[in-house]
Amino acid sequence: MIAKKFILFIVVSLLMAGCVEKEIIDDVNIEMGLGYDLKEDDKIEGTVMIPVFNPDKRIGNFTFSATATSARDLLQEIQRKSAQPVVTGSLEIALFGEEMAKKGVIELIDSFERDASIGARVYLAVGEGNAKDILSGTYGNRGNAIHLSDLIKQNTDKRNLPKTNLHLFLFDHYQKGKDPYMPILKKLEAEIIDIVGVALFKGDKMVHTIPADKMFFFKLLTDKFSQGSFKIKVREEEEQAAIRDLDSKNKFKLTKRDPYSITVEIKIEGIIREYTGQMLTPAMIKKIEKELENTVNEECSTLIADFQGHGVDPIGFGHFIKSKTRGFDFKKWEDDYKNLTVHVKTDAKITEVGIVE
Amino acid sequence: MSQQPVPERLQISPFLVLYLIMSMQIGIGVLGYQRIIAEAAGYDAWISVLGAGLSIHIIIWMIYKICGTVDGDIVAANAYVFGKKIGNLVSSFFIIYLLIFALAVLRTFIEVIQVWMFPELSIFWFSLVFLILAVYIVFGGFRTVTGIAFFCIVLPSYLLLTFSFALKYADFRNLLPIFDHSAKDLITSAYKMSLTYIGFEIPLFFYPFIKDAPKSQKWAHLGVFLTTIIYTILAIVTFTYFSEDQLAKSIWATLEMWKIVSMPFVERFEYIGIANWNLIILPNICIALWGSSMILKRAFKLRQKKGVIILALFCLIAINFFDTRAKINFLNDWTGKIGFGVTYLYIPFLFIATMIVKKVKNK
Repeated sequence: MIAKKFILFIVVSLLMAGCVEKEIIDDVNIEMGLGYDLKEDDKIEGTVMIPVFNPDKRIGNFTFSATATSARDLLQEIQRKSAQPVVTGSLEIALFGEEMAKKGVIELIDSFERDASIGARVYLAVGEGNAKDILSGTYGNRGNAIHLSDLIKQNTDKRNLPKTNLHLFLFDHYQKGKDPYMPILKKLEAEIIDIVGVALFKGDKMVHTIPADKMFFFKLLTDKFSQGSFKIKVREEEEQAAIRDLDSKNKFKLTKRDPYSITVEIKIEGIIREYTGQMLTPAMIKKIEKELENTVNEECSTLIADFQGHGVDPIGFGHFIKSKTRGFDFKKWEDDYKNLTVHVKTDAKITEVGIVE
Repeated sequence: MSQQPVPERLQISPFLVLYLIMSMQIGIGVLGYQRIIAEAAGYDAWISVLGAGLSIHIIIWMIYKICGTVDGDIVAANAYVFGKKIGNLVSSFFIIYLLIFALAVLRTFIEVIQVWMFPELSIFWFSLVFLILAVYIVFGGFRTVTGIAFFCIVLPSYLLLTFSFALKYADFRNLLPIFDHSAKDLITSAYKMSLTYIGFEIPLFFYPFIKDAPKSQKWAHLGVFLTTIIYTILAIVTFTYFSEDQLAKSIWATLEMWKIVSMPFVERFEYIGIANWNLIILPNICIALWGSSMILKRAFKLRQKKGVIILALFCLIAINFFDTRAKINFLNDWTGKIGFGVTYLYIPFLFIATMIVKKVKNK
């Protein structure tokens, strides 16, 4: 009886082993970065970035491009040009050229959404100029895709870039009363990539940008909890201080309806990292706090007014008011948004000044 | 027709009913119920999940009343109400019900493997191996089936923790304002939970196998309660993670939340999660096969071992006919509908009938 069961077990394991096709890592092309650019006649040029694992442990990059009229054809073109099957499971970053982003990206993103093997943590970014140029450089020593995704990750975790990835983009895109955004990458030198701002989308089309020096304020508005750093000038004293924001929170309050009025309360707790003056007296710290509060209030209000002017709502005021209103009418909101008043109230606190006064 | 008492060495302890019920309820419905319920009541649908879960307790109470009155299982109850011939005919309907249930579970799970992991997986070979395993377990008797149910709840329970990754992206404003939908929408959503909730009716099939059966009622209630809590929390996590139009596109929202999981030692958690889901599916198939073959034995005097093999073969053949998404959807829809009919229409009817017959017989 035991022998019989054993034989059955062996037979079953053998049968199971043949059930699915195997994929050996040396025999496939792992697509880690993707780029889309708009060419003439509305053709799309897709660029695939594949890491090459050299024997001396250095990771090289290999990119190749294909041109097609639709996203669906593009995949086939790319597969045809590849000697080994292209697998999508470790995609790290997808870049959209500026022109492509202005034309609309959701058709391209659909294939990421649909593919079960692509994770939700893939980074999406707009490449200033051309996505292909950015992908075809050589950055860092861990491969381009890892370098680019580490760059974005570092900047969101500790610096001024708001949280972003494929899931968040789709979340905002499908959320009524909120518009998505992506970071903008730019190739500065042959080996350096910089984040130069945030691209704002209306629907799936890029319509506006925020420069890098305003990203700190943008992040305060979009992320519920955030970190970042910022340099301010104390007006009367001609001194400058670099402040690292360790922990900030924002809270929205609906203060009035018809027309809507919202108060955004921002709480910042930070430390001073650099200071140009001689002594940091408690009175001076107070002044810096005050200055910081004023700057944040002004800059955030300017940003919001700018968004209203362009008709984009990346902060999600529409969604916020919807969550406070029964039977909210999004049609009417389109007009209401322009007349929305937003007050920004900041409460800044400097907790430490470093190891010297 | 009263039943011969089941010898004590074949019976199970009352508390194990908790695992049997939970393992039967949690199966494939939970992989994608969020989208279906949000269709009607939007992001208020978690209230429906809670409400539907609470209403099940009434049905559980009825089941125990029915079984306690006739001191036996569904076959005994049907015979008690309708007489032996018609009763057995009605009971045989439950064979079909359990088979469709097993079929829907197995086929949907294979679809998940095909879509998420291996598109070229053969339906036939996978079903063959899975059914051989299930038949083997059923051959071990009801105590073995219960043991499998126990382990298949306990072992994969860690999966619940993995949904905390999605909480990092939670936007609880999605849930507000609460009660933005009419009562009718909420009830429609609750009805659409049928497929996800069914499975709690199984004490009808194994009641005589519980030692000190009436004592197990509180465990049955507790099992249903735990499932309700799990479903409600999972619905809330899903609703905060997806925006409403985004969820409307997600067929398997539960699995999609694993796409955000990041752990240092595993790039993609879905593969581990889906492989683990095998364990959650297994008791579904085993209990359904055991239950249906038991009815065959009780109503038609067919030996259970023979019955299991015949029913498993039937599943193995029938499963090949469901080869597209539309057909699988159809199968799931109908499983939900039949399940609703059995639990919310037939059981209350049987309950009332049993009570009336009892009154008449006592006079």
